[in-house]
Amino acid sequence: MRRLFALALAILCSVGAAQADRLDDIRKAGVLRVAVFDSNPPFGFVDRGTLQIAGLDVDYAQAIADKLGVKVELRPTNPANRIPLLISGKVDLVLANFTITEERGKQLDFSIPYFASGQQFLTKKGTLSSPDQINGLRIGVDRGTTNEIVLRRDFPKATVVAFDDTPFAFTALRNGNVQAITQDGPKLVGLLAKVPDRQNYEIPPFSISNDYIGVGIPKGEGRLRDLVNEALRELEARGKAAQIYDRWFGPNTEQPLPRLFRIGDRN
Amino acid sequence: MNPAIITDNLGYLLLGAWPRGPVGGLALTLILSGLSGLASALLGLVLGIALAMSAGPSRVALTIGLGVLRAVPIVMLIFWSYFLLPILFGVSIPEIGTVAATLALVGGAYLSYGVAAGIESIGHGQWEAGLALGFGRWPVLRFIILPQALRAMAPSFVNQWTTLIKDTSLAYVIGVPELSFVATQVNNRTMVYPAEIFLFVGALYAGLCVALDRLAARLVRRRSRPTAHLG
Repeated sequence: MRRLFALALAILCSVGAAQADRLDDIRKAGVLRVAVFDSNPPFGFVDRGTLQIAGLDVDYAQAIADKLGVKVELRPTNPANRIPLLISGKVDLVLANFTITEERGKQLDFSIPYFASGQQFLTKKGTLSSPDQINGLRIGVDRGTTNEIVLRRDFPKATVVAFDDTPFAFTALRNGNVQAITQDGPKLVGLLAKVPDRQNYEIPPFSISNDYIGVGIPKGEGRLRDLVNEALRELEARGKAAQIYDRWFGPNTEQPLPRLFRIGDRN
Repeated sequence: MNPAIITDNLGYLLLGAWPRGPVGGLALTLILSGLSGLASALLGLVLGIALAMSAGPSRVALTIGLGVLRAVPIVMLIFWSYFLLPILFGVSIPEIGTVAATLALVGGAYLSYGVAAGIESIGHGQWEAGLALGFGRWPVLRFIILPQALRAMAPSFVNQWTTLIKDTSLAYVIGVPELSFVATQVNNRTMVYPAEIFLFVGALYAGLCVALDRLAARLVRRRSRPTAHLG
């Protein structure tokens, strides 16, 4: 099935016709269509109160739409369809905890990074204290993420078990099917905060990669990309980026994390 | 077990964001199943009759078309019609329409073979008797063959509809918020209660399928009572 999807994607890429300037289309329509995660707190998830998608990525999407002077229209997405949505022109931008990679750069363009995270591990206490132990463990990952790619590439002797999403991977950890799970550090911190017996688990204090998260933009839309980059830099300069960060990772949230990366630190 | 996770999110699982947003959850699963179930029954009937009554090149063409629909995984058909049609032909179909149409086509293709087999199962003598009484080919089919054949086909229609109800969950691939899609959203927000959530979702699907089965059984029984009496 996954090979079929890869084939489908390749064909989509090859027929993805060059359009007129997307930025003009967005302004004419008065709507910026953005694909965001609906199952990845705190980046994009369905808010329990409003039943609408909310999260860090959603706040950035709104801020970019404000800069363009248009309304934002959110489309729920997942790792399986975020690239097809962009390539087939169903959305204008993807803000879905989208790690910038060279491979993906062949199919689409990225903005400058607006978030950075390291790939970390969650284990039962006392299982893992340094990266050299990883090769001997059974490790759960979320299928189709860069976490899976990095783990398989850098730790070929580790037994990798791929799950549909983080709750399933964590259940496998809880039941002892795997000895550790790996994900972006910020997401693991948020997960651990929700675990009833969290005193039995830990996130060892090391990371195995640095991931930079950017906005996915259709290939060749240079004006749109410049405008998104400009919007992101403005958000940083005006302190709005720090505000958005604090709303989801500040001291009063479920996953308090210091803000080490600033927009513009890396281009 | 934490039953509160279900009760806290019951409204969302049953109705999605409605009335503050589009309808979703179990309600959307019912809508998708209903639409595609009806359409697949009509399609199956028409295509099945065509299959049973046609011969030569038109039959070959029909068989190839039905073969393609039955051979390609449904999730791929949904994916293709949603992402590729706009690029190739410039037509854009809404998500719910894409799913309902795809499921109807696939369901119809499967059912058509059942319908054709049902028609062929009625003895040749019945055809000859009808023709001898001065009926044409189509009236014989309409008044003599189909009423008997359809009764025999009822179980395969119910089978196909049950499969269809479960296949609506494949709508996730283009982001349609049916039952299993909203369950995944709740599961990922709460993170640590997948067993509770998916046991509940499984029970809902089972309930739907059992209800359909009971309903169909009752209808068939009511329909066939007079005939059984005569026989």
